[in-house]
Amino acid sequence: MGGVKRDRTRHYLPLAAVAVGVILIAGPFLATAIRSVTIRTATGDVHGLDNFTNVFGDPRVLTAIGDTLIAGTCTTILSVFLGFSLAFLVARTDMPGRRWLETANLVPFFLSPYVGAISWIWLLAPHGGLFPSLARTWFGVTMTWPNIYSVPGVIFVLTLFYTPYIYLFVMPPLREMDAAFEDAARVHGASFGYTIRHITLPLVLPALLSGALIVFVTSAGLFDVPLALGAPKGILFMPTEIYGMVQYPADLGKASAFGIVVLGVTILLTVLQRRMLANRRFDTITGKGYRPRLILLRRGPKIAAIALETFYVGGGVVLPLMALVMVSFSKLWVGRFLWRNATLDNFTYILTKYDLTRTAIGNSLILAVTGATIGVCLAIPQGYYLTRGNPKRRALAETLLSLPLGIPGIILGLGFLIMALRTPLYNTLGIILIAYIARFLPFASRNVTAMFQAISPDLEHSARASGASWGQTMRQIMLPLLRPSLVASWLMLFVIFIRELGATILLYDQGTETISVAMVVLAERSSGYVAALAVVQLLLLVAAFALFQLTNAATTRRPV
Amino acid sequence: MSSIRVTALTKYFGDHAAVSDVSFFLPEGKTIALLGPSGCGKTTILRCLAGLKTPDEGSIELDGAPVFDAERDIDLPPEQRDLGIVFQSYAVWPHMTVEENVAFPLKVRGVKRAERRRRASEMLELVGLGGFEKRSATLVSGGQQQRIALARALVHEPRLVLFDEALSNLDTRLRQQMRMELRQLQERLRFTAIYVTHDQEEAFGLADDVILMNDGAIQAMGPARTLFHAPPSAFAARFFGMNVLEARITAPTAAGSVRTKAALSPDLSIEGRGTAITHFREGEAVLACIRKEAVRISRAPHPEDVTGIVAAASFLGSEEEYIVDIAGVRLNAIGPALGLAKGDPVRVEMSPEEWIFVK
Repeated sequence: MGGVKRDRTRHYLPLAAVAVGVILIAGPFLATAIRSVTIRTATGDVHGLDNFTNVFGDPRVLTAIGDTLIAGTCTTILSVFLGFSLAFLVARTDMPGRRWLETANLVPFFLSPYVGAISWIWLLAPHGGLFPSLARTWFGVTMTWPNIYSVPGVIFVLTLFYTPYIYLFVMPPLREMDAAFEDAARVHGASFGYTIRHITLPLVLPALLSGALIVFVTSAGLFDVPLALGAPKGILFMPTEIYGMVQYPADLGKASAFGIVVLGVTILLTVLQRRMLANRRFDTITGKGYRPRLILLRRGPKIAAIALETFYVGGGVVLPLMALVMVSFSKLWVGRFLWRNATLDNFTYILTKYDLTRTAIGNSLILAVTGATIGVCLAIPQGYYLTRGNPKRRALAETLLSLPLGIPGIILGLGFLIMALRTPLYNTLGIILIAYIARFLPFASRNVTAMFQAISPDLEHSARASGASWGQTMRQIMLPLLRPSLVASWLMLFVIFIRELGATILLYDQGTETISVAMVVLAERSSGYVAALAVVQLLLLVAAFALFQLTNAATTRRPV
Repeated sequence: MSSIRVTALTKYFGDHAAVSDVSFFLPEGKTIALLGPSGCGKTTILRCLAGLKTPDEGSIELDGAPVFDAERDIDLPPEQRDLGIVFQSYAVWPHMTVEENVAFPLKVRGVKRAERRRRASEMLELVGLGGFEKRSATLVSGGQQQRIALARALVHEPRLVLFDEALSNLDTRLRQQMRMELRQLQERLRFTAIYVTHDQEEAFGLADDVILMNDGAIQAMGPARTLFHAPPSAFAARFFGMNVLEARITAPTAAGSVRTKAALSPDLSIEGRGTAITHFREGEAVLACIRKEAVRISRAPHPEDVTGIVAAASFLGSEEEYIVDIAGVRLNAIGPALGLAKGDPVRVEMSPEEWIFVK
């Protein structure tokens, strides 16, 4: 039929985009797998399981695994508690300032965990920490402050950064739940507390568990925080241990063996998480009902709510940013900001004098802008396939494409390092770019897919029936309707890429450093430079948001 | 079971009174329907009765004891009012079995497990779901969820059962069936019930008395038949789907009679009646109302029989709906399917008993 030929792009373009996504994840996976069973010897490569016995016979590795599991588990439990409480307060109560706090609670999601961790060093370190120093000079109190360079320290900072994940997962069911579920319980004799425990919690439990699994997988695999808080005092974690194995004298085989096991566990958990979400969809609890009423907090609970918010927004946003700004304007950080110590030198140095930081800022911008653009361009056809493609293959494609969500950046970086080793891509911005897209494309593609889902297929069909080709329909009907989600996805990728560290740390070389890498390199030299660089990074993020707000305001559209 | 008295209930949303000065009394074992278009305040009243919303003024008494009183600052929380409720969305909890759903009101009241199971089973038997106890509540059909919700609302023998558009999510056939079953169940168990609905059939079919509401206020109140046959206002007439036309009284009401004459147009005069208490002056502007079924249409074999012309016809099945043009006045009519087409001359008959004049 002639129609088949005309619709060739409609069939192959989305499929091609899905294929790219699958290759981007299969490539490093296979490279790591093959390298893990390869043993380099003087006479050539042999294959075997020596790398695995090497890794898992190493007491260092076992300690690292133990610490990582402890940190991941505790972070998950604390984030679940904090994320659910904050979401509940914002969505369901009359807590003062909840409109404003709704966004404030999400801010840590956009900040760099590495910067967060070093900010907490500046706040808490026994020598040169803001809290100990203020307590000493203002109140004359000399006490033992909690040691930030510790497993609990890592858990504390991780919790601050992963709470928004839970918050984002439970907010929709909390907000859109048919209020009749709770009201029916109340009218039939259940008290408020009983209703929360026996009706509300079980109903959001699928979302909560699903979010918890994501938090466990991603927080355990995060490189930034263990690097800042574990490595200096020799506390071992999985991501830093893999990083160590790739440093001179490198043992890629051992690193790969470790990596492939972590990868296997991660993929298993990610698939499990998707199953959980698919089996108990939220639509059973939303629908024709009406929105829940706001709970009027009495005095005691209100104070507790404000205290919790103060702790979270203070610890996750306000205090770290305060420390950051003070350090960046200080000649020498002595635990307090002193006007006689104030200076702009840190900024002039990193922006005009120091080549490493100037290159790094340029590289980060190039990576973020190209990466976000390519990512969004791939996300559109992927989203099309995932909502309008072959229904039988769709589910598999969705599972495969979502796998990178849980894969630790450092392990994906390792895979791409092995792949690129003997190619022209080695030590270029190109390989970093590819790794970024491979790791973070699911964020954009999920976002765009959700938007595709919200657009009735009838809109597309009526354009086709009116005589438009598929290409014309895409350009004139779908893209304008998708626009809000495309802009949001671009911004999200931009933000992630500007602060990315885990995937970059194994792939950069002289000349391809990024802002985050430069911070790690400078961390040994001067906290002032690091802070100034972190402020610059922050300003780039803020600028992106401002741009987003401007374009949003200029082209406000009616919802589809 | 018990009686309920609502006095001067008022609820504001911002400046707007969603419910204004609503009062009614419902004796024990009786049922009443709050009927009206969406946004008329009927659901707000129901929520206020349940304790899910707090009214701004007035009082609510169950069995003579206040559960809400604005002046005395009494406002019992929902769980202390001892009610049952059936929601439009059923609100059958998806994480519980059918039995757990139904036994919930007993569980929170501390009823022992064995007793709980016995009573839940009995109630499920009563609503036609015997043997469904162990099923997951999400794996049953909409009609069955409705029955679960009903069993849950009755199992603890509440003082009053509230129905919030309880049947409107069901398809037409199931709705008719459930309406009949619900009526029979009510007559058997004699529970006091308030039905909130926008559907006149549901209101008439389920309740002894009907309260017709619009814009937060009661428009009419009384037994279903009385309201239907003699709507006291133009709003009521329109709501019940009657023809409502502007008319002018041409003869004053005769002494001792409710009959009077009015002109719908210079060429069309009709005879009709007001309610017993209304009197009309000559020349007074009124609204003339007649039910569609009371506009009787037949074929006109002889030219002298013709009184109207068909302007539109719509086949409904056992009946047909027409718009007829009588001397320039258009009326809707429903009658036997005669197979008439646009432009056909017809004979139109309307009994003076069926024309009702309201001011």
